[in-house]
Amino acid sequence: MNNNEFPDALPTDYRLHWYVLDRVLGQGGFGITYVARDTNLDTTVAIKEYLPVDVATRRADSSVRSRTDDQAERYRGGLERFIREARTLARFDHANIVRVHSVFEHNGTAYMVMRFEKGETLAAVLERRQALPEAELKRVLFPILDGLDLVHGAGFIHRDIKPDNILIREDGSPVLLDFGSARYALGQSRTVTILVAPGYAPIEQYYDSGESQGPWTDIYGLGATCYRAITGHAPMDAIARSKGKLGSTQEMLLPAVVAGNGRYSDRFLKAVDSALEFSEKDRPQSIPQWRSQLAEQAGPPKANAPSTPATGSRSARPPWVWAVGGGVAVIALILVAPLLARIELPGTAKAPEPVAAATPKSSENVEELRRQIASLKAEQTDTQARLAAMLQRAEDAEKRKSDESEKKKAAEAEKPKPAVEKRKVEKAAPVKAAPEVVAVSAPAAAPAKPVEIPPPVTREPPPPPPKDPLVVLKEQAERNDGVAMVKLGDLHLAGTGVERSDQEAYRLFRRAADAGNAEAQLRLGDLYSKGRGVPQNNFQAYVWYAAAARSGNSAAKAGADRTAASLQAAEVQQAKKLVDALGKSK
Amino acid sequence: MTQDQVRDAIVDVNSDFRVEYERVLAEKGSRRYQVPRTRAYDAVLAAMQRLSMRIADQASDLGYVSVSAPAPSPLSAAEWSQAAEKDLPRLRDIASRHVGIVAHFLDFEPDGLEIVINATVIESAGISEISLTMRMREYAPPKSGRPRREYAPPTAVRLGLDKIWRALDRELPGARL
Repeated sequence: MNNNEFPDALPTDYRLHWYVLDRVLGQGGFGITYVARDTNLDTTVAIKEYLPVDVATRRADSSVRSRTDDQAERYRGGLERFIREARTLARFDHANIVRVHSVFEHNGTAYMVMRFEKGETLAAVLERRQALPEAELKRVLFPILDGLDLVHGAGFIHRDIKPDNILIREDGSPVLLDFGSARYALGQSRTVTILVAPGYAPIEQYYDSGESQGPWTDIYGLGATCYRAITGHAPMDAIARSKGKLGSTQEMLLPAVVAGNGRYSDRFLKAVDSALEFSEKDRPQSIPQWRSQLAEQAGPPKANAPSTPATGSRSARPPWVWAVGGGVAVIALILVAPLLARIELPGTAKAPEPVAAATPKSSENVEELRRQIASLKAEQTDTQARLAAMLQRAEDAEKRKSDESEKKKAAEAEKPKPAVEKRKVEKAAPVKAAPEVVAVSAPAAAPAKPVEIPPPVTREPPPPPPKDPLVVLKEQAERNDGVAMVKLGDLHLAGTGVERSDQEAYRLFRRAADAGNAEAQLRLGDLYSKGRGVPQNNFQAYVWYAAAARSGNSAAKAGADRTAASLQAAEVQQAKKLVDALGKSK
Repeated sequence: MTQDQVRDAIVDVNSDFRVEYERVLAEKGSRRYQVPRTRAYDAVLAAMQRLSMRIADQASDLGYVSVSAPAPSPLSAAEWSQAAEKDLPRLRDIASRHVGIVAHFLDFEPDGLEIVINATVIESAGISEISLTMRMREYAPPKSGRPRREYAPPTAVRLGLDKIWRALDRELPGARL
């Protein structure tokens, strides 16, 4: 086993009862999976060790213990859940669900022994082939549905369905891996963005502790997986979608019926879109319900082999598909026109490019497009208020949990900033004043001239449209506003609305941290601790955690305690002097 | 000899070496120079590089640099042997309590080990304090059930620190307080 790559892993040839570890398969936030030899049966197995790095650490004697006494209860709770769920999974014997042989406690933690599956993940297949034809995709999807239905029937959900967690065996059959990972991790980390797979996780996984999650949550993951196999890329993540629906950005998910038109059957594409409904109540509520949508196929797939997947770039799309995309953009522009009037993001305020030369293939397509537009509009108007609340909750959930004094400070800091409050009001106001668009004809052949927008019904002058929040955030960050730098850094870490870049996040956090921003210091601690955007370095992680902890931030204190455990006492003293000097220089 | 005995022997050696390491650090772990922090920091970088240490991470504005190199650097092979000769009896004595006569076959080998040194520079009223810490890091994972060796032999720490300070004194002539 590569100790540098997996420093927390047990060594090669380590013996766990009659299992002898061979190598590490992978490590996630909640544990390490090994390939091992069952010396009794002389077979190869996979063993998952419970080791949630946020709250537990490996000791010199190979045991796993909570990092601090405060975290002991949380660690124990997660461990018990790990064992309980392994026992539940062990009850299922389905060809398309990873087989759990046993679970046992050892080294102060637990080990789940599973069948070792050989094959290639669907993610790797898609990386290689970009897209899968409908028939092939269904050969992956339907067996997984069968297995998942069994699991859902026992009141258990996966929560982390994505191409990485579907393995295609050498005989072509699929198997769903890695049950429960997101669930073990939930509540152990401070930011949910690192717990969910962007694009594959529905909105309820970003803000909800579990109450509104159910089979529909897994159905979204499967729908997103299909979308990836159809278009060549994952759907945009749920937070970005929510902003698009609120009108604060132009980001709307291109429906599968549009992206895959002509290459997949309409029935199949509609079922995928149904699974990807933003709101959980609008999705199929059970596997049988979704299966019936998928199976009620009017005819065979239109084309078995996808030619070019829609990648989001204009040149990569077939002309007709681009025309539809342009049409949808026109309608989106109409619906949110008052909101966009002052958007300053490069390119976003421009009128859509002329698409008059492109024509739909048939009147059927035009009708389909109309239905899509009507659907988009309906979504826009019906769910605005709810989405605003959901987005707010999701963003709240994204924030780090800091102690009460930190919260008070933040609240105090926000009070004298009326601009922030004003923006919130402005955000909601134009939605009410948005002009009604009753009908749009042939949007796919949208003219170069702008479409006439009916005047607003209200006689009151509409409130001034708000600036795009991202533009505002960037401006504030450029002015060295610490809070804005932290928020923008978070967006770069998650790749939400901006390019995903750990380095850019580091630069933003570092600037804010140097100016004494405790949240930024805490995030720097996280980056150094995990080696994201910077070389992994527990000494620097400790320095920044300890610097942030001076403001009373409990998460920072926990981070400092955690990293201190891996440092020499002399190194801790050395780092503390640096922290003191840092405090004096501010 | 069981795995548990080996583990206990390593734990005891680590513990003993740690006490001695902290004693050496208290005596030789930091020095003060009458130069601005930036100059002291540059001198640390230069001295470390002169000793064939590789810069692994640095933050000049913070006054921090981490350097590393395969053992026995910053010591020469001869200096490492000198340290081993001095500390080996002590190591064998501690280990023999757990593994008996096998302890007499133990040796200090630098193979598979890396030396990591953290240096910090803090300035106060025109005086820069440079602090050093040193640890061993194993390239390969330890064998099953065995703790990692973390603390260098005390004599090696002492010789290593002396060597670094000499290099620093050369970089900052006449500035040492």
